[in-house]
Amino acid sequence: MTGRRAREQASVVLIHLAALVVFLLMAFPLYGLLLTSLQPEAIIRSRELSFIPSTLYFEHFREVLAEGHIVPLREGLINSATVSTLTAVLCLVIALPAAYALSRLHVPGARGILATLVSVYFLPTTIFLIPMFVILVRWGIDDTIFSLVIAYSGFVLPFVIWILKTFIDRLPREVEEAARIDGCSHWQVLTRIILPMARPGVLAAFIFAFILSWVEFLTPLIFTSNLKMTTVALGMFRSTIDIQVGQQAAAAVLTLLPVAILMLVFQRLITQILMAGADR
Amino acid sequence: MPDRIADAGTEIWKRSPGTLRRRETAFSTALVAPALILVAGIYLYPAIFTLVLAFADFDMAALEIGRWVGLKNFLDLFANAAFVDAIWRTIYFGLLIAVGSTIAGFLIALLLNQRFYGRTLLRVVVVLPWAVPPVVAGVLWGQMFHADVGFVNALLYRLGLIQNYQIWFGDGQTALHIIAIAEIWKAIPFMVLFILAGLQGLPPQLHEAAAVDGATALQRFRYIVFPLMLPVLIPLMLIQFVWAMKAFDTIFVLTRGGPAGRTTTLNYFVYVEGFQSFDLGRASAAAYSLLMVTLAVILVSIVLRRLATSRRISE
Repeated sequence: MTGRRAREQASVVLIHLAALVVFLLMAFPLYGLLLTSLQPEAIIRSRELSFIPSTLYFEHFREVLAEGHIVPLREGLINSATVSTLTAVLCLVIALPAAYALSRLHVPGARGILATLVSVYFLPTTIFLIPMFVILVRWGIDDTIFSLVIAYSGFVLPFVIWILKTFIDRLPREVEEAARIDGCSHWQVLTRIILPMARPGVLAAFIFAFILSWVEFLTPLIFTSNLKMTTVALGMFRSTIDIQVGQQAAAAVLTLLPVAILMLVFQRLITQILMAGADR
Repeated sequence: MPDRIADAGTEIWKRSPGTLRRRETAFSTALVAPALILVAGIYLYPAIFTLVLAFADFDMAALEIGRWVGLKNFLDLFANAAFVDAIWRTIYFGLLIAVGSTIAGFLIALLLNQRFYGRTLLRVVVVLPWAVPPVVAGVLWGQMFHADVGFVNALLYRLGLIQNYQIWFGDGQTALHIIAIAEIWKAIPFMVLFILAGLQGLPPQLHEAAAVDGATALQRFRYIVFPLMLPVLIPLMLIQFVWAMKAFDTIFVLTRGGPAGRTTTLNYFVYVEGFQSFDLGRASAAAYSLLMVTLAVILVSIVLRRLATSRRISE
């Protein structure tokens, strides 16, 4: 009996030890980035290893956000916010009717459509970007917000349709059917019944669309060259001079922050919706 | 009562004449149409355009196809040792991340499936990298392994494991593995969430019965948890494999494919050919080669899975 208790105690210790190791491996890189962004360059450069800061230094943030800094972060933040919002709105407007139809109505070739949408995420993005670049340059609309919104919408739309369809699939059908009997058209069912009920799904879809657009890197790298048109994820890499480590960390933190806030605030909703989709 | 109304509704629906059905089809098609047009314009048309380009020389000045070259782009690529190396490197890189993230994700999910002090906190921390944009993940791991200011050097030096600060990105193999670390770190939240959901879906009675029969924790894992989880693990691993093969951001940020092209995977190769050398024909051929490799990987995994299931049935 004592042997068994000793073994149980050993396993409790082992589990906590493992938890600590996992905690450090997953959290430390992020902590390190945050720490670097808040330390003066002199301390970063010194080989003193201290994981607990003695001072907090906010100059890197002030510098990278200043107008005319070699890292066009200010423009990047504004551009990314604009492009991501426009993309998310456009995708929702297009995706909601499509998701409703795919979930509830008879759509010819529905399975094929859904399969095509999903397959897009497994194909190399460059296949789509090469000709899109040619077309945009031909039309003279490369290097514009518009070109990014179009491309992002294409990449984000399948995911948004998938999220909304999953969500609508799980809504009870009774209300709609009752409404249909009462003489509502499909359009009225969509706007008056589905839309209000699907609000959490729409919110989740908006957040995903926004985040996916915010983090997109290859598309703006190829489509934009004007520094004024840069996105936040790209800004750091647009300067030809190597920037200081602290400033780079601050820029990275600012790129990360909106995504992290959205994810943390809506963590429960986001995991619920993703898991619901994975059930099937 | 509402149920009866609903039933009556479906009854009416079933009996409704064909015109109603046709009208519904027309309406539903109209709802799906904008999405399909966008998808066709952004995927289908460009994908075909790229395929066509793969057999042509593209004139960047005139912005049109210069002349048809047949298979020349592909032949040139496969005669280029750097390209062939990139194919194998892409597969190795994909496998590394697929296996690494599956093992790490499984271990962490098993841990989070236990009861311990601080489990909720650990769960939040494990999911955190998900919120990190790939570019930021690149910056962050680049700083961790930075030759002068990186914490990895500082820590290893302090522990006496290295005599000098190492230039981690100076060696191609090392650099490739650091990129893989960044990718795995980033993939772990996705893997943990889905594997954990799978673990929690296992019937608890199985565990209890095995424990009563005197099975040790290791035996329970080997004969119950692991086989039951394989149908969850294998598709997840395949997804990571395919995603890893199209990794770009981390490679761009950490090494730009260097040193000497030693961290160039196919997707990065396409970028260099297309948007640094502006040889769009060859870039298109390379992009389609990547697509072929991706399809081959998916096909091989499907065949392997078939073989595994048929063997299990015959046993």
